[in-house]
Formats: sequence, structure tokens, C-alpha cells
Amino acid sequence: MKPSLITDHPFGEDYAKRLGVAPWRGHLPGPKVEEWRFTPLRSLAKIAFVPATADIDVDVIPRNVPKVPGAVRLVLVNGVYRKDLSDTDLGKGVELSHGKVAAKEGSSLVALNAAYAPASLALHVNGKAKKIIHIISIGAAGPTPTALHPRITLTAEAGASVTLVESHVGLPGEAYFSNPVASITVGEGASVRRYVSVDEDSEDFHLATSLVKVAGGGTYEGFHLGLGGALTRQEIRVALTGENANVRLNGAYALTGTSHHDITTVIDHTLPNCTSNQIFKGVVDGESHAVYQGRIHVARDAQKTNAQLVHKALFLSRGPQVDCKPELEIYADDVQCAHGAATGEIDPNHLFYLAARGIDPETARSLLVEGFLADGVNEIGDEAVREIFGAAIGGWLKRRQA
Amino acid sequence: MAVTRETAATVRDIEQYKYGFVTDIESDMAPKGLSEDTIRFISAKKGEPEWMLEWRLKAYRYWLTLSDEEPTWAKLQFPKIDYQASYYYAAPKQTPKLGSLDEVDPKLLETYKKLGIPLLEQQMLAGVAVDAVFDSVSVATTYKKKLEEMGVIFSPISEAVHKHPELVKKYLGSVVPYSDNFYATLNSAVFTDGSFVYIPKGLRCPMELSTYFRINEKNTGQFERTLIIADEGSYVSYLEGCTAPQRDENQLHAAVVELIALDDAEIKYSTVQNWYPGDADGKGGIFNFVTKRGACRGKNSKIMWTQVETGSSITWKYPSCILQGDNSVGEFYSVAITNNRQQADTGTKMIHLGKNTRSKIISKGISAGRADNTYRGLVRIGAKADGARNYTQCDSLLIGDKCGAHTIPYIETRNPTAQTEHEATTSKISDDQLFYCLQRGMTQEEAVSLIVNGFCKEVLQTLPMEFAVEAQKLVGISLEGSVG
Repeated sequence: MKPSLITDHPFGEDYAKRLGVAPWRGHLPGPKVEEWRFTPLRSLAKIAFVPATADIDVDVIPRNVPKVPGAVRLVLVNGVYRKDLSDTDLGKGVELSHGKVAAKEGSSLVALNAAYAPASLALHVNGKAKKIIHIISIGAAGPTPTALHPRITLTAEAGASVTLVESHVGLPGEAYFSNPVASITVGEGASVRRYVSVDEDSEDFHLATSLVKVAGGGTYEGFHLGLGGALTRQEIRVALTGENANVRLNGAYALTGTSHHDITTVIDHTLPNCTSNQIFKGVVDGESHAVYQGRIHVARDAQKTNAQLVHKALFLSRGPQVDCKPELEIYADDVQCAHGAATGEIDPNHLFYLAARGIDPETARSLLVEGFLADGVNEIGDEAVREIFGAAIGGWLKRRQA
Repeated sequence: MAVTRETAATVRDIEQYKYGFVTDIESDMAPKGLSEDTIRFISAKKGEPEWMLEWRLKAYRYWLTLSDEEPTWAKLQFPKIDYQASYYYAAPKQTPKLGSLDEVDPKLLETYKKLGIPLLEQQMLAGVAVDAVFDSVSVATTYKKKLEEMGVIFSPISEAVHKHPELVKKYLGSVVPYSDNFYATLNSAVFTDGSFVYIPKGLRCPMELSTYFRINEKNTGQFERTLIIADEGSYVSYLEGCTAPQRDENQLHAAVVELIALDDAEIKYSTVQNWYPGDADGKGGIFNFVTKRGACRGKNSKIMWTQVETGSSITWKYPSCILQGDNSVGEFYSVAITNNRQQADTGTKMIHLGKNTRSKIISKGISAGRADNTYRGLVRIGAKADGARNYTQCDSLLIGDKCGAHTIPYIETRNPTAQTEHEATTSKISDDQLFYCLQRGMTQEEAVSLIVNGFCKEVLQTLPMEFAVEAQKLVGISLEGSVG
């Protein structure tokens, strides 16, 4: 018998009580919190989610999880590491452990995660990891709406490098609320590439927080793909804690139905000579609602900062809503900072150009959408992953046409 | 040594606020603090009709329910304001009715002279009619007759309440309702005076209408209320310029400006704000909490806001446009300069409701010393605003390494056919540009003034000529002492 999540791990119900997070609904940020103004959680708070149990019977990995060539698969079901479904050989330089979850850091959602997360899936990278690490987080509610709190910790030592792919998917059943937290530490001169895909069912909730620290000379490359869910938020907070650190954070989303998708990024430049680049692009269809908030904070000491940010959204129909809030908060004078944002629909001239070459309107639109999102996807440094994510978008377009 | 002394003296002169003087005129003051009695006092002083008093009281009662909940979302820091420690009404004593300018208190006229508004001359000059507001009450209105003949109503709002109650009743509070925000509610309760403008159908107002506001009596919050209505097919350009005497205590200023443009009408509203910004340590200075909003009610209407904000220790100001009519246009041009310990949180809101509505936002923020300068703007495209178009450009310039420049735009789109564009950059004056100027014999300050003026050119160009000249000088003066 598998252990019950709440009673058997060291941070059980008592811990939740001590943190004051139970009942968890009282712990959700309200609409008056500025960072949540575009993403109200009313629909989430209406559902009585129960804490997840791991004893649900899962022995297959859902079909929409891509196969990353040569990657090591690590599987989480309802936030619990499942050795029986995972690969064991992580390759040289990577160690897996089950860390305790540090309490009380960050937002209320992170605290909620800390209170309920069974244990952290901790990866320790020392040296250059040969294999891509593919973490598959499966939400399985079964007959009752379920809340799950996956926790991932990645530490890349000085000079180390690793590529991580995360697939967040769900199994059929009742709705679930996934509240994953990823803590990532990039050591001096280290390089971490992390590609996250959220492809969940239209009734599922996903509020993810990524807390990234990049030390001097380190590089962090993140990509976040969003392809649905009832309400998805990917919040990425990056602190540059050493000089010459470099962040590239990109993403793409494609929404239909009544999906709500929120990307919130905060880049904190505290020291000189760091760079950050962000490109986020999305298409919206149906009655969906896309939110992008990007904040760049440049502290007084962070001279010679170069920070760029672009968000563009494309409307595919009448009905969606796009809210965008790029934000610059700058206290140093010798900096180059810029942000750009734009929304619009497909240019009829482009459609005409393709139609004149014998391409039917639907295919033409798909081509243009793919081309539009490619700006973001092309930023993915790993070629195999780039193709996989591109294919996922292609799949979304096909489903939309069908 | 002589040279050193001379330099020191020059620096002292520059540092002193040019317009910092106090005119000693007996004031007719309301009792200190805010209560229904104060409001009744203000209303009685102005001999207002019952409906006006009721409106004020309604606002006051609503204000009480806000229980001192000032908006805190702006990037501004200031001590808590004690609303009971202010005087809400102060009128210069004057003879009951003024027949001509000769009857105006000579001391008042003296003040205007120092400010550079020679009323007597201005009547003759350039066709500018000046409605001078001196501590809340308009004391002299010039060119009134000429405008009256054409059907233009340009008068203090207190007068309009009596003479044109139907217009005031219809439009007052229709763009900024009394419940709009904390400061607008306060203003609705205690507003003392301001300007009222009505341009009749099809008339192109032949002169720039202009008002100078002046804060004079110690501890007097100023609560102007301006209402401008441009009827179908009309055009008006309105100028507002401000200077204030030097004070140690913070002075509160909460004005409300409402603009209404009907079919095919156009309103151009320009402001140069140069209130006392406080000294180098941030002591004193004006708290400026202004609600300015225009409604493009009619089709093809246009509202254009231009502002040059150089003064005040705290600026909280978002001149906005509600684009209701089809094909209506809203424009916002802003230069905000903060130096020393000034803080400005300013921007605009463009609410697109009608079809083919267009808006353009050009904002230039310059931050020097230990100042903070924030652009905060909203572009909202409603679901029915087919073909709406927005272009936003926000540039910030940092001078020195102890100041801050922030850009916080909100872009909310609900219509697929709309196009929105937003661009923002932040940078400093490039060393190359400075070097180039210095090499050609300019002083550091002249060079900075020149470069900053170039940076702001797009905005300054939209000002009427009279203002543009003043504004260019202001840009230079505001930044004095910020470099080197």
C-alpha cells in the first residue's frame, strides 16, 4: 500500500496548521492584490479540493507527454515521486534526493506548497550533465477534486550545466488544482536550461511558481509553453545575485475555449553587468483570456544592466481578452532597458499573399500563427526540445481546426 | 575671490524658487477643518442654490464612508495628510462688485506682475483672455465681453452656477462623478472655484483661453473645479499655468477637470505646472492630487492633453480620455521632470469604447537628483471598439545615479480588430552627446538643458506658442544643479 500523503510525511496536517494555511482557500491571493488583478481565483475557490493522495492507480504515462530523445524520465503523480514509473540511471554528475521543503519563503502559494508538499524532488548537478532530465508531473484527481503540490529543487554547482524539461499533464477524472513550486539555483558560471510545458485539461487549475537564483557569470534559459487548462498561471521570479549573470526567459501560449492563462515574470537586477531578455508570444481564440505581466527591477547598484522585454498577442477571433502589463522599475542610470507590447489580429495582407499562392485560408492562418509563435519557440536553445515544443503547437492548431 | 563670491551668489539665486513670495492680503477664511458646517459656509459664501449645496453634501457624506482611505497604489511616499488641519476656503477680501481692473486690489495686481501676468497689457496682447484665480476666487475676468458676443461662456464656475445652472447641472460630475476617487470626492465637497467654459455649436474659439492658478493663503488647500464643454463642431484651446509661493508646510491641492467634446468638437488642454517643489531636502512643496478626464462623447470628437510637469513635491495626475464616440481621438503628451526629492506618478488612461477610436500617448519622464518619476497608464479596448488603434511611447531619462524612473503600463484588449502598440525605453544622457556640446563651448548645464529639450521636443511642440517658450526655459531651470 502506498503511503497517504497527508498523514505520513513529516510536514503533514499539523505543519499546515502551524503555518496557518489551513483551510487553504483562505490563503489564496485576493483580487485586490495588484499582482493578481487580472487573474481572479473565484472559480478556483468555489471547488472543494481535497489534499491529493498518491495511492491512486496510475501505471501509464499520458499520451500527450512527448518523448524527449535520450532523456531521463522522472515521474511525479500528484506531486509524489514514483520510482516505479521513473528511470533510475540519471547519468554522470546528477544526483537525486528527497529534500525537506523549506518553509515560509515567498508568496502565500509557495507557503501553501511548503505546507502540503510531500517532499521535494531535489536534483543536484555537479559537472556537465549528459542527459536531459525530463520531469513529468501527472495530476490524477480520480473521483474527487484534488489539490496537489509538486516541489522541485534544482541546484547547479559552479560550472555545472544541465537541461531540464518539465511536462505538466493530467489524467481524466475530476478537476485538480496543481500548485507546483520549482526552486532553482544556478551556481557561478553554471548554465541551466529549463523548458516547461503545461498542457492540461480544460477544467484543471495550475498555479506554478518558479524561484530562480543566478550567481555571477551564470546563465539561466527558461521557456514556458501554455496550451490550455481552466486557469493556468506561470509565475517566474529570477534574482540575479552576481555580476555578469544572464537570463533568457521566453514563452508561447495558445488558448481556446474559456482558458485563462497568466504569465508573470519578475527579474530582479541587483548587481552590475547583468543582462535579461524576454520574448513572450501568444495566440488567443474562443473566449479565452491571456495575461502577461513582466516586471524588471533594476537596483541602484545594477549599473550597465541590459534588460529587454517583448510581449505580443494575436487574436484569432472575436471574444478573447488580453491584458498586458510590462513594468520597468529602474534606480540605476547607466542602463539600457526597454519593453514593448502589442496586440492585433492576423494581417489580411499576409493572408492574401498566401491565398494568391494557392494556399487555402485555414492552412494560411495556421502557417501565420506558427510563424508568429516561432519567434518565441526559436529561442529554445536545445534543438530536440525546440522541435517537440513546435510540434505541440502544431498539434494545438490541428485540434483547433478539427 | 571676487569671482568665487559671484558664483556663490549666482548659485544661491538659481536655487531659490523664482516665484517664492507671499502677498499679504487679508483673507476671508472658513473655519479650520472639514465638516458639514465648512461646506455650508463655502456654499453660503458663494450664495449657491440649494441643488449645488446638496451635491456637495452628498459628496461629503460619501467621503466620510471612505474613512481616510487615500489611494496607496501609486509609487509615492508622503506623510499622512490631516484633512482636519487645513482651511478649505480662503477668498481675497474685495469690494463687493468690480467694475473694471482699476478696482482690483493693487496688491493683487502687484502679485500678478511678479508672476509675469500683466493683466492690463495682456488685454491688448495676443488675444489671450485671462481668468485669474487667486486663492479660489476669480477676481478679474478679461475679454469676457468679446467672447460673450460670440456666445462663448468663459467664467468662474461659481458664476456659471447662477447664470447657466442648466449646463452646470447637466455636465458637472458627468465625467468625474463625485464618487470617482478619494481626492475627486473631496474636491466635489469643498471645491471653491475654477473655470467654466462653453463653446457653442460650430464655433472655433478665436483665442486661447487661459487661467492662472495661484496658491496663496497659508495652509489653504486648493480645490479648483474646471468644466469645459465643446458643443458640436466647435474648437477650443485652453491653457492652464501654475506657480506658487514658497512655503515650509506641505500644501494640498486636489483639482478636478472635466472636459466634454460633442460631435466633431475638439478640445486642446495644455498645462504648465511649476508649483513649489520643496527644497533640496524635500521639505515643503505642494501635494498635487489631480483628477483630469475628458469624454469624447460625440463622433469624430477629439481631446488632446499636453502637460509639462516640473513642480510639486508630489504629483498624482492622470489626464484621461473616454473615447465614446465613433472615430474619436484622444491624445496625451507629457513631460514630467523631477529633481531633488520630488516624486511624480503620472500618466493617462485611454478608454476605447467607440468604433475606429484612436489614441496616442507620448510620455517623457526625466528624473534627476533623488527623485522618482513613474509613468502609469492604461489603454483599454472595449469589446465593441472595432478598428481601435493605440500607440504608446514612454521614454525615461535618468540624470545621476540616485534617482528612479519607472514605467507601468496596463494594456487591456477585448477586440481582435484593435491594434495596440507600446514601447518604453530608459536610458541616460549619452556621454558622446555631452562631450559634443561641451567641446563646442557650452557649459555642462546648457548642454543638459539642450539635450533634455531635444528629448522632450515631441511634446513641447504640441504646446501653444506662449507656453512652449516658457516650457523650454522651465525644462532648463528645473534641472539646474542636477549635473556635476
